[in-house]
Amino acid sequence: MAEIRTEELLMNIGPQHPSTHGVLRVVVKVDGEIIRDAEPVVGYLHRGTEKLAEDLQYTQIIPYTDRMDYLGSMLNNHAIVNAVEKAMDLEVPERAEHLRVIVVELNRIASHLVFLGTYLLDLGAMSPFLYAFANREKIIDLFNRICGARLTFNYMRVGGVKWDAPEGWVQDVLDFVTHLRKEMNMFHELVTGNEIFLERVKGVGIYDADTALNYALSGINLRSTGFNWDLRKNKPYSIYDRFDFNVITGKNGDCYDRYMCHLDEIVESMKIVEQAAQQIPDGPVMGKVPKILRVPAGEYYAAVEGARGELGLYIVSEGKDKPYRIKWRRPSFVNLQILPKLLEGQSMSNLIAVLGAVDIVLGEVDA
Amino acid sequence: MSEETKAPEATKAAAPQAAEETPEPVDPRIESATAKLELLKGKITAQFGADVIEEAFLAKFQPSFVIKNESWPAVVEYLKVTDELSFVYPEAMAGTDHMAKGYCEVYLYVHSFVLDMDVALKVRTPRDEAAIPSVAHIFSGVNWEEREIFDLVGIKFPGHPDMRRIMLEDHWQGHPLRKDYVVMD
Repeated sequence: MAEIRTEELLMNIGPQHPSTHGVLRVVVKVDGEIIRDAEPVVGYLHRGTEKLAEDLQYTQIIPYTDRMDYLGSMLNNHAIVNAVEKAMDLEVPERAEHLRVIVVELNRIASHLVFLGTYLLDLGAMSPFLYAFANREKIIDLFNRICGARLTFNYMRVGGVKWDAPEGWVQDVLDFVTHLRKEMNMFHELVTGNEIFLERVKGVGIYDADTALNYALSGINLRSTGFNWDLRKNKPYSIYDRFDFNVITGKNGDCYDRYMCHLDEIVESMKIVEQAAQQIPDGPVMGKVPKILRVPAGEYYAAVEGARGELGLYIVSEGKDKPYRIKWRRPSFVNLQILPKLLEGQSMSNLIAVLGAVDIVLGEVDA
Repeated sequence: MSEETKAPEATKAAAPQAAEETPEPVDPRIESATAKLELLKGKITAQFGADVIEEAFLAKFQPSFVIKNESWPAVVEYLKVTDELSFVYPEAMAGTDHMAKGYCEVYLYVHSFVLDMDVALKVRTPRDEAAIPSVAHIFSGVNWEEREIFDLVGIKFPGHPDMRRIMLEDHWQGHPLRKDYVVMD
């Protein structure tokens, strides 16, 4: 038999491709069906937020953060106000802290629901997407009522939040949590036990905790290896130390564990939302803050647990009303680095399964 | 006995004058941060000599070191591989252009699970021909961060496996986060 002629092919995935969740390009070298090398090319959505922020006052930066991880805008808001408050030693009223925790955790749920929907869509299942988005829509409606926006909320301010919850809002949050609890069973019935799904994700894209740490992974990408690390517990900020919830970890560090971590984290976030909504006191939603915010000269690093991992801000201040330098530690950007390592030697059909489980948002990768 | 009971009154009365003699209770956060700073300072000095640390200070409870440029990878690697230190988790990296002070600076924020603490490591380079030895071979997670710093701040990292721009196009002129960068209209 004559020898089959083989050669390596260079393939472009993206930048316009529905499965890359935005404008990501992956240059893949394939040998038949096997990926020999994969190189993510980023920057298509780079807006220079860090440069823009140098000419803005701290309050003016907040709406820009909405546009980074646009699936977790509340978390981005929280990251910046938390960093500035820590640097300035500002007090936040109790009611504002509770409202923050409620919206942040709701946003985490919404973000994980998008992951659930789009990940299954990537793998070829259409219907979970619709169920996930129907539930996410309810959260978006709650946000719409509290801040008037559905995606770019611009809700938090240094020292508190911009608007108090409207009449009956907190009760509606509690009702939503009760509703979502029932829906979670449906998701598990719909997806988790599906054999085709399991075939595609179990044992795919494995790495261990040491690798994850070396690649500076955070969030679910780190926890799926079994490594227990959640900033809400390990470096408590805001009022997270008051709530009773568990840190979800995986075991094998494969795509299946990352999927399960997302679902289980929704349950934990619901616990936090519920406790915060039950304990929320009356009172003001804005603390006493100077009219013009001036962060004392020096440098600061503070991070929150974003939906995708450690969302940190490094602020260099000269004591003026604008930052001298502000740098976002963006979890999506850092997490994406491991992709070439995960894809090497995989079959081509696993590319989207692996990429989807890393759960990136391109607005955050490129900033 | 009577002296003892009198004592509090006496100190109260003398408080304005005695302010210097009885210092305010030290913030426990500063105390523990200072202890951590001294511990690391001692370790690094014992390994490399005193002159690799250009500055050691607390940036609001955060132990911070400015490391000599040439010794940068050696110190970072030492902090990572030494068992009792184990700064294995690179949380954040950033580059800053301090134009008025005449240097560029890279900031690396690493965490140790063994000591349960963070340390801020910094390294400086002149603004012209700015270069800092790469630590991408020590932490795979800073590979892209170094590329981003090169792209936006214009610091080269000799030893980096793939020193290209990451955000901007390859033909871009200048580095936007330099303070003297002129923004196109």
